[in-house]
Formats: sequence, structure tokens, C-alpha cells
Amino acid sequence: MVVTTSIESPAAATNTTRLARRRRGTFAADKLWALAFVTPYVAVFVAFVIYPIGYGLWLGSDPASYRSLFSDPVYPRTVVNTLLYLLFGVNLKLLLALLLSGFFMRKGWWTKILLLIFMLPWAVPALPSYLSINWMLNGQWGLINNIIWHVAQVDGPPWLDSHYFALGSVIYGHIWKWLPFWTLIFLAGRMAISLELYEAADVDGASLVQKFTHVTLPLMAGMYLVCTMLSTIWALGDFNAVRFISGGGPALSTHVLATLGIRNAFELGDPQLGMATVLTALPLLIPLVILLMRQLRRSEVTI
Amino acid sequence: MTARRRSRALNRVGVWLLSSVLLIWTLLPIYNIIRVSMQEKEEVLSTSVFPVAPSPHAFEVVFRQTFWLLETFWNQMGNSFFIGIAVALLTLTIGTLTSFTISRMRIRNGWMLTNAALLTYVIPMSFLAIPFYGIMGKYGLTNNPIAVIAVEVTFATPYAIFIFQQYSASIPFELDEAARIDGASPPQIFFRIYLPLMAPALVAIGTYALLLSWNEYLYAFLLLSGGKVVTVPVTLGKFLVGDEAPWNYLMAAAIIYAIPPLLIYYGVRRKMHGGLTMGGVKG
Amino acid sequence: MKRMTRRQTLVGASAAAAAGTGLMPRRATAAGELTVWWTQGFYKAENDAVIAWMADWEKRNNTKVNLTIMNGPDVITKLIAGMQVGDVPDVVHTVTGDRFLVPRAAWNDQLEDVSDVVDSQKAEFTETALLSARLYNVKQKKYSYYGVPTKGSSLMNSVWLPLLQEVGFAATDMPGTQDKFYDFFQTVQDKLRSKGKRIFGLGYSMAAKEADAGNLFHQFLVSYGGVGIVTPDGKLNIDDPAVRKAAITSLERLTTPFKKGYVPPGAINWGDVDNNNAFFAKQIVMTPNATISIAAAQMDKPDLYYKEIITRGVPLGNDGKPVASVLAIAPTIIPKGSKNVDGAKAMLRDFIQPANLNAYLKETRARYLPVMASIVKTDPYWTDPKDPHRQVAVDMGLTQPTVPWWMSYNPAYSAVLSEQVWPQAEANITQRNMNPEQATDEAAKRIKQLFEQYQK
Repeated sequence: MVVTTSIESPAAATNTTRLARRRRGTFAADKLWALAFVTPYVAVFVAFVIYPIGYGLWLGSDPASYRSLFSDPVYPRTVVNTLLYLLFGVNLKLLLALLLSGFFMRKGWWTKILLLIFMLPWAVPALPSYLSINWMLNGQWGLINNIIWHVAQVDGPPWLDSHYFALGSVIYGHIWKWLPFWTLIFLAGRMAISLELYEAADVDGASLVQKFTHVTLPLMAGMYLVCTMLSTIWALGDFNAVRFISGGGPALSTHVLATLGIRNAFELGDPQLGMATVLTALPLLIPLVILLMRQLRRSEVTI
Repeated sequence: MTARRRSRALNRVGVWLLSSVLLIWTLLPIYNIIRVSMQEKEEVLSTSVFPVAPSPHAFEVVFRQTFWLLETFWNQMGNSFFIGIAVALLTLTIGTLTSFTISRMRIRNGWMLTNAALLTYVIPMSFLAIPFYGIMGKYGLTNNPIAVIAVEVTFATPYAIFIFQQYSASIPFELDEAARIDGASPPQIFFRIYLPLMAPALVAIGTYALLLSWNEYLYAFLLLSGGKVVTVPVTLGKFLVGDEAPWNYLMAAAIIYAIPPLLIYYGVRRKMHGGLTMGGVKG
Repeated sequence: MKRMTRRQTLVGASAAAAAGTGLMPRRATAAGELTVWWTQGFYKAENDAVIAWMADWEKRNNTKVNLTIMNGPDVITKLIAGMQVGDVPDVVHTVTGDRFLVPRAAWNDQLEDVSDVVDSQKAEFTETALLSARLYNVKQKKYSYYGVPTKGSSLMNSVWLPLLQEVGFAATDMPGTQDKFYDFFQTVQDKLRSKGKRIFGLGYSMAAKEADAGNLFHQFLVSYGGVGIVTPDGKLNIDDPAVRKAAITSLERLTTPFKKGYVPPGAINWGDVDNNNAFFAKQIVMTPNATISIAAAQMDKPDLYYKEIITRGVPLGNDGKPVASVLAIAPTIIPKGSKNVDGAKAMLRDFIQPANLNAYLKETRARYLPVMASIVKTDPYWTDPKDPHRQVAVDMGLTQPTVPWWMSYNPAYSAVLSEQVWPQAEANITQRNMNPEQATDEAAKRIKQLFEQYQK
């Protein structure tokens, strides 16, 4: 995470400015070396970023694809799901992460061990975890409903068999998998806040809540915003959670754009339609990317 | 009881409560993997909460590759390793070279590269899956692990470049200059000064790239086929199609697959968190 | 540490170089090679049979065969993607391709005409098999054979005898006509429930994914008289009162038991394997399933195979007359762009020699049916009176009347199936409280849109 690092190493700022001042006078031989050094990345960028983007835009440029996309009753549902997924998945996750990062600031062996365990979901590969969550939530044989049955002798809710429950389950899976990562990011952010600020607040007799709202929050607001945008973009492209937890079911009611795109391309056999499906996320994606790139660039130089 | 003591007791109860919630939240799906992996095939479809007669049978099947879907399991583990290590090495190579050029050699249009990396960083990976497939066909790379390696390197490198740039800012410029006065060429500076001092960042990014490729399903599924070529996640996905439901084998294979990244992560965790920050695995 | 990193970098650089050279050559199939994609079987023996046959053919013909065995959905996905970029194998055997891909690929001129291969055994193939393989190519404005019929399957009903016996019924108590047959299992469930058993009577697949739910709905549609939904000349006939009524009745008959709790709630999410699982776990008394795979999976347990699991074919119509089974024919195709069409055709011609085809099909444990009547007549395996399941399947799929899926009349119907229009209509009833008439109208609207995209 770029942001975090920037907060952590103020040295970077001074170095960068000094660096900028010296940005002149490279020898010809050095230029050749520089060219040789950046060639691999430029090659990767052209071959695997520019070309696919161009090809994708070309694939998705047929208006007929959009006509057929908008006439598909699954599509509007998918758009709503995508928005709900982003709204709840991203915000709940980041809010929890922000609060939990405060908890993990506590000292003591127990917190350290807890943090180790807490990181597990992030270290376990995505696919096994999502398959496990899918099976755990199975209405007939899942662990959760088995527990409910043993405790209360009633059938648990049909986690994956009704639209809202299934969408909720997918969001739960997403949060479960990514909460540790964002908690860690915020934890690093908090650690960068000078302890003196808190000590000063203590002297003024501030309560826990006051310290949070008056010290932590203002200092971390910028970072929180960037994280929200970044997380939104990544969640927009999250294919695995939906694919393996709900599979888009029941009755194609929990697809998001990323999974519907793949379905339209490879199950319905229409790659152009699939590309058109993902491209309809551009009105959301482009402003986010512009904002985020501006934020990231700025934070890199200034903080 | 004084107010202070009461609040400390309350505090302790709060920590205890929150800790238990966190433990249950974190461990439930993981317990479920272990639970199912220790059940017998028939028992998987039952309403038990604990395995009735826990047995390592499923692990044995996976180890010996005696179930037909797992016939080439170790081969596939090998593929996952090969791809993961190749991705890590290539990401390190390309990332260090690029960041060295941008931040140490002060090239004029370095900002363009930074922007290119930023752009790649913020594109949702799965959105490019459809054109990627087509392009790999045009490069003649379908069903070739190189295609998957290329995709993952593409998406891992931007992050590597950022971290390297950040990290190298803390390496004093005077070192480069001294070497220059001694007549060192850029490659010599790169190998003798830059790389050794970047070691912690290299470990972190190497781990990050490895985890990224270990997590990848969609591209491996689309770009690879055939039991000998695919990676383990692709096979795990295949279990969902068939006339049987050997979920115990599936989960046992999943556990074995999860062990290497766990070991690596917990092994280099300090290095990853310290100095740098933690590498994010792009979703 | 220093040396270490340098070595790492060197390795990385050489890996990069290796990757770079790997970029150069295009995967080319030499003239003497064949790339084959085969849909994986449900039993190891089935795959082994294919592998062995290919190896043998390779030797006999001095042609290298690159065989890849993949699961059903993967084959379709990869083929779609491969066709998009013109990087295709030479021979593809698909199981669900007849529904989801092949008719549209033929329409778009993406498949080789394999009439000469089919003609080499034309007298042997059944009428439905030939009808299924005959598809329309809109670019060349002609009907022709674009797939080689390989194996067939139709809907079967698997029933647990012990569960019937538990509430005092025998196998002979199962009624023979459509409504009575399926209603009977509601009675069984009621009786089981009164004994405190939490078992569902009917295992209807109702998910908008994969093939099972579509199989079930369309067999119901035919059983209720809706076979004319698409006419043989490719016209959509969904507004025909008889067809509309059949669709409404089918939807009503499938969703009402679900709403009343005679079908497990999870059925709305069942993949093709899940009704089998529910059956094996004795969660359901019966389940309709394409092919006799449920019984065949238990072949090594004689008690289950011979005594406890009963296979019933499609019930008679409510009027007591036999109903045609909707017979799916798995095709083997040669995609356009194959670099060795002659070799591919030679291989297929050899593969569909009745003796070769029979040897392969037997390894499927009769999960799939022969597409040639002579195979069944000459090999007693298929009519073995001791086998309680195989003869039912053969009777339904070869002896009794069959109809092809409607994609062979118009590829638009393949889009109807891949979009899961009818299972979505079921969900509209069970989840969104539409009534069967509304759900039918909604489905009809979508189907008309899809047909508009396929005008000759």
C-alpha cells in the first residue's frame, strides 16, 4: 500500500524533492542503460495492458451487444447486486477494519497471538476458503445449519437459496477474506500517528471516543478515503467470491458484473456481450480511477 | 468497588468478548475445511457438527493420488510452484529494474512509467479476462503456463514498482554518487548497491507475488487445460462437476494446497510488515 | 545476502529470457498431428477407454494425437474462447454442446461440414440422432451435418424402493401416468413425515444453471403436449394455445410441489450433481435425472444396484398414451480452423464404426445410449434382462418414440437453454410470486427476442 508507506517514511518526501532537483544531466551511456532497464516493463505494459485494453474496447464496441445486454432481465438485477455488494461489502469491511485496528493497537501477548490467528483468512488461498464457506452455508448439509439444528432443533435459514440471504452470504465471504488485510493497513496507519498526540490528549483528559474522533479520525481520513476507493475498484473486479459462494444463484439472482461478464462470454458463448457487460461498469470505474490516481500520486510526493 | 476497578473489569470482559467473536469469525470456515476433510464420503452429506470418526483417509487419497480427479495432484502442485516462483522472480526482476531507473537514474519521463503502473494497479484484474484470452491465442500461448505467468506478472509488477520506489527513497544517494566517482556503471550500481540494500523489500514483494499467483483461479482456469498443465485451484473447481461429491477429498486437497503460502507468510511475516507494509493481494 | 540476491536476479533474468523466447512460436499442429478435446466421463473406465482407443488409433495411423480430457463446462468455455481467436483443436467431443454451443456454431459457419463422416454410417444412425446432427448454416444458407452423433441420453426417474416400503408401498404401487406418478411421491412424503422422517418426496432440479433443470422442464413440456414449441422448419410456435397451455401446466406442476414443501428448498440451487447427492443421502424419495447415472454410480454395490434403486422411464401421458422422450445426442465436431480436417474425419469415421462405438459406450456403463439401433440388437449387453436399469434406458431412448431437442430446428433455442429462460420462469413463480401464466408470458417474451436474432 503506497499510502501507508508514505505516512510511515517522511524521509521519502525530502529525498524525492532532492531527487527532483537533481533530475538533469544523464550521460548518453546511462541513457542507453536506462532504456535497457525499463524495456522489460514497457514491453509487459504494451503487450499485456495496452493491447488487452484496446482489444477489449474493440470487442465491446458493437452497439448490438448493448441492445441485447439491456434486454436481458438478468442485467438490471446484476447492476443492483453490484451496487449493493460494493456499498455493503466495502464500507462494512473498512469500518470494521478501522475499528479493529484500534483494538489491535493494544499491547500484550494475547493481542499479538490474536492478530496472528486473525490474519489466517488472508493467508489461506481464496478458492479453498470460498468453497468452504459455500459448503458451510449449504442449507441441507452445512455446518451452520447443522449447529442451529443441534442447538435449537429448527431448520436454519436458506443461506444460499434466497436472493437476499445469498447476496448477504457473498458479502460475508468477501469481508471474511479481506478484513485482515485492511485491518493491517489501518494498523500501520495508526502506528504512524505520533504517540505524543495521544499523550497530549490524555493530559487534556480526553476519553477514548474523543481521542478517536479528534486525533485518529482526522489523521486517517485521507487514507480511509483512498482505501475506500481502492477497495471499491478491487471489489468491482472480484470474481471468486460470487463464483464460488453463491455461483450467481439462486436463479441468476446474485450475479455481479464481473461474474455476469464471464457467464455471458463463456457460458452464453458471446465474448462481445461479455465484454459489453463489464464495460458498463466504466461510468463508475473511470471517475474512481482518475480520483484515485490523483490521490495516490499526490500522497506519494507530499506526505 | 471503585469506578476505576469496575471500568477495568468491564474492559476485560469487553476484550474477552471481542476476542471470542473474532476467533469464531475467523476460525469457523477454517474449521469447516478441516472438519469435512476428516469425514468419510457418506458422512459429508449428514448433519454432524464434529466428524463422527475422524480419519486421515482423505489425505491419504490425495497423497497417493488414488482418486481419479486427483491423479495428477502433485504434478499440479508442481505447476502451482513453478508458476508462483516464476511470477515472483520476474516481478522482482522487472520491478527492481524499473524502479531503479525511475528513482536512481532520474530518467526524464519516469512519471509516465509511474502513471502506467498506477493505471494497471487500479484496473480490476477480472475485467480483462475476456480480451486476455483472445490475446493469448494470438500470441500462441493458449494452454501454456507462460500465459498465466505473464498475466500475473503484469498485475503484480505495479505494486512492486511502488514499494521499491518508496523503499529506495531511504537509501542515501551519496552511495550511488561515491560509486559513480569510482567509475561504476549503472548495472554495477544496480547489482552492488541497489539490490543488496533492497533485500527486505525483495522478500516482501517476492512473497506478495507468490501469494498473488497462489490465489489466482480465473486466468488459470481460462488459459490452461488438461490434468498435467493446470494448477491446483483449477482442479478444485472441477470437483463441483461430476456424479459424486467427494467433498472430503476436495477439502483435504485444499488444505495441502494452503500449507505452502501459510508457511511462507508466517515465515516472512515480520519482514513483510516491518520496514515496508504488508503486500496486498489484489482481489 | 548480496550474492544470494544476485543469483536470484540472474535466475529471474534467465526466466525472463525463457519467457521471451516462449512468446515466439505459435502452437502449430503439424499435418500429421491431431489435437482432440474429449469431455471427461463420470467413471474412470470411460476416460480410460477413450485414452486406450486414441493410443491404438495413433499407432494404426501413424498420427500423433494430443488428447485433452476436460469436464463438460470447460470444453464449452474453451471452445467458445478458442473460436473467438481462431485457435481451435481438430476434434471436440462435447456432452452438453448439442444444447449450448454446437447449433449456434453451425449457424455462424464455425464448424466443418461432416456429412461425409455421417454418411459413412447413415443407415445405422437412428432418425432422432440424424435430426439432431442436421443443423442450419446461415452463411452458406443450407442444412447439413455439422456434428457426428456419438451418444444419447434422455430423462429417467430414480426411486428408492426401501423408502416406499417403509410406508407400506411396493414398486408396483407407482402409478404409470404423468400426474399420478409424480403425485404419488407426495403421498409417500406425507406418510414418511408422519413417521417423523425428514425426507422430501420429489427431487426436482430447479436451478437456473447447468442442464438438469432444463431436461426436466422440457420433458414435462412434451408430456403435457408442448412438443410443437418450435416447428421442424424452425418457426417459434409459442403462442399456439396447446403449447402455451403445456408450458403453463409444466411450470405449475413443477413449482407447486416446491412451494408446498415436497421439494427440498435447496433444489433452486442444485447443480447437475446435487440431486444425485441428495438422492444418495436419502434426502429425497425420487429424482428425475437425465440418464441412469444414479444407479450406474452404485454398480459396485449389488444390493443398491439390483434391489434398492428403481429406474422408471418417462410416465405415460395423462391420457394413458406413450409420450415421446426428449433425446439429447452428444455430438463430436470438427471446428473450422482445424489444421488437419482430413485426419480428424478419418478418426471420426473409424470411431463410429458400430463395433468401436459400442465398446466405448459399454464403458459408460450404459449411462449413455447407443445412437445406432443395430448395436442394441447385436450386443445382448444392452438388453440384459438381469439388469434392472439398462433395459429401461434402452427402451426409452431407442425403442419408444423420441424427439430431438429444438435447437436442430432453430439454433435460437440453444440461446433459450443457455440463458435458462424456463428455469428462470420457475424462479419467477417460486421466488417472485408470479403465477404460471405470467411467468410463461415473460418467458415467451424473452424467447421471441432471442428468436429475432436468428432470422434465416
